[in-house]
Amino acid sequence: MDFNRRHILGGAGASLGVLALGAPAVLGQAKPRVVVIGGGPGGATAAKYIAKDSQGKIEVVLVEPKKEFTTCFHSNLYLGDFKKFGEITHTYDKLASAHGVKLNHQMASAIDRAKKQVVLADGSRLSYDRLIVAPGISLKYDSVPGWGKEHEKVMPHAWQAGEQTKILKAKLDAVPDGGTIIMIAPPNPYRCPPGPYERVSMMAHTLKAAGKTKSKIVIIDPKPKFSKQGLFQEGWEKYYPGMVEWLAPDIHEGIKSVDPKTGTVVTGFETYKNSPLVNVIPAQTAGQIAIQAKLVDKSGFCPIDANTMRSTVDSNIFVIGDASIAGAMPKSGFAANSQAKVAAMAVRGDLTGSRVFPARYANTCWSLIEDGDVVKVGAAYAAKDGKIAATSTFVSKTKEPADLRKQNVQENLGWYAGVTADMFS
Amino acid sequence: MNEMFEAPQGRRMNALSALALQGAAGAVFLAWATVAAAQDAKPLKGDKALGEYLSNTCTGCHQISGVSKAGVPPIVGWPEDQFIAVMETYKDKVRENKVMQTIAAGLSKEDLAGLAAYYATIKPTKGAAQ
Ligand SMILES: Cc1cc2nc3c(=O)[nH]c(=O)nc-3n(C[C@H](O)[C@H](O)[C@H](O)COP(=O)(O)OP(=O)(O)OC[C@H]3O[C@@H](n4cnc5c(N)ncnc54)[C@H](O)[C@@H]3O)c2cc1C
Repeated sequence: MDFNRRHILGGAGASLGVLALGAPAVLGQAKPRVVVIGGGPGGATAAKYIAKDSQGKIEVVLVEPKKEFTTCFHSNLYLGDFKKFGEITHTYDKLASAHGVKLNHQMASAIDRAKKQVVLADGSRLSYDRLIVAPGISLKYDSVPGWGKEHEKVMPHAWQAGEQTKILKAKLDAVPDGGTIIMIAPPNPYRCPPGPYERVSMMAHTLKAAGKTKSKIVIIDPKPKFSKQGLFQEGWEKYYPGMVEWLAPDIHEGIKSVDPKTGTVVTGFETYKNSPLVNVIPAQTAGQIAIQAKLVDKSGFCPIDANTMRSTVDSNIFVIGDASIAGAMPKSGFAANSQAKVAAMAVRGDLTGSRVFPARYANTCWSLIEDGDVVKVGAAYAAKDGKIAATSTFVSKTKEPADLRKQNVQENLGWYAGVTADMFS
Repeated sequence: MNEMFEAPQGRRMNALSALALQGAAGAVFLAWATVAAAQDAKPLKGDKALGEYLSNTCTGCHQISGVSKAGVPPIVGWPEDQFIAVMETYKDKVRENKVMQTIAAGLSKEDLAGLAAYYATIKPTKGAAQ
């Protein structure tokens, strides 16, 4: 679909035209303030772009407890020894020094929507003219029977990167030859649709590289099919024959219980005992703060206006990244970065009257299957009938030439360098 | 030489160009082989503000500093007609690369002119391999 300026000025774009041309919301007052909750791909990008593009006309405060951010993306490459932990970890210094973002390193504990204030962990309050909510996901610790937050060190999820990622790596490296790793895959919707399966590939790679080819990885999946399935299964057969077993729900008949003490996983079909590594990836919702602030619908995620990422619940609030319901877009770092820039434009339009264009979004997810073999899936998106819809899409093909896959390897590395520069510098 | 950025061979060229692309030290150097008589070439005056907004999609991979890593080339500081010509070859699916074809598919002539106008104004920062 081709959007152009004619769309802004008439018909479907009429409301945008009003935003673009109408009186800015708070011109003439003191400098407007935007508070951003969460310094992940979504929040860091939004904070940077609002600060950078408003050239000092908007005060931007980024609220994020962590001083260093480890990306989930390419954490699987860390598992496979393709990247070092330091290479997937970033600081916020440049957002402050290069763009003037004010960093506030603590949790936001509540949003007082009536007063337009964010309540911080230390009890202080930050007023906002516009608020960006980008807290990512929260894990549903009660979604896997027998497993909970108190067990996440023994049976790691590593679905939020940092300490968890290191725990998973240490356990992976300690798996003995012949040991069986169990991955409990998450139900839809969840962060990074191909993520569990790229992880399995990297686990298998690590086992194989260590000569532990008698080991196995069993994936217990609540979904009957998964992202890039044909491509992953082709790769597993080619590179890791006999090492990866994927079980659909009609085969395993559901997870009955897990016992973190004994490394046991009981399904309707079989009991796995003494597993040296059980990777539990539970069901997910939007980050807690979005739930508390009642920005979510019954799916547990936040509905938004497809053209701006503005919350449909509160017009002073924008929700971006994994916490949002972004139509056809998957929950990915690429997507969060893309959505953040649309929200940043809309926020500047609101506060300084800058031009607002129809939203364009993009996503590509690259997955490393084995050294030299990356597959990809992606799309461009725009708002259509109130939803974010794909305007064109692509996916790698099975049996495609090896040199294409090799090019994807380079593209994936280039993307990571580019997108993290875009987020954090 | 990175395959992705090789010139399309033996395929339809639009009126804008025959493009030769060479990779050097991981960067991409673009040269006009011939500039064919461009009948449709009343070049659009690009809307830079639109281009700057649309560039948000590019900056997810292509660094605005002009720094380039691995398989993602720098795209800053190109002459406008060259920028448009390259994008047209993705749009026409003459040039391979699924990501670029997908992005280009949604860009109108105005969009491309805007992008080209914007990127022409961006200079690579010092130290960026060009
Ligand atoms: C194994 C794995 C592999 C992946 N691979 C890819 C990939 O290859 N490509 C890709 O594009 N994506 C990938 N992803 C997905 C990607 O990591 C997420 O989609 C992305 O991180 C979402 O960004 P976000 O900003 O929405 O949330 P997050 O990254 O979760 O960031 C949210 C931030 O908010 C902070 N926060 C939360 N609550 C509060 C609060 N109350 N107050 C203050 N701060 C708060 C958190 O500390 C966190 O820093 C992968 C994910 C996983 C798990």
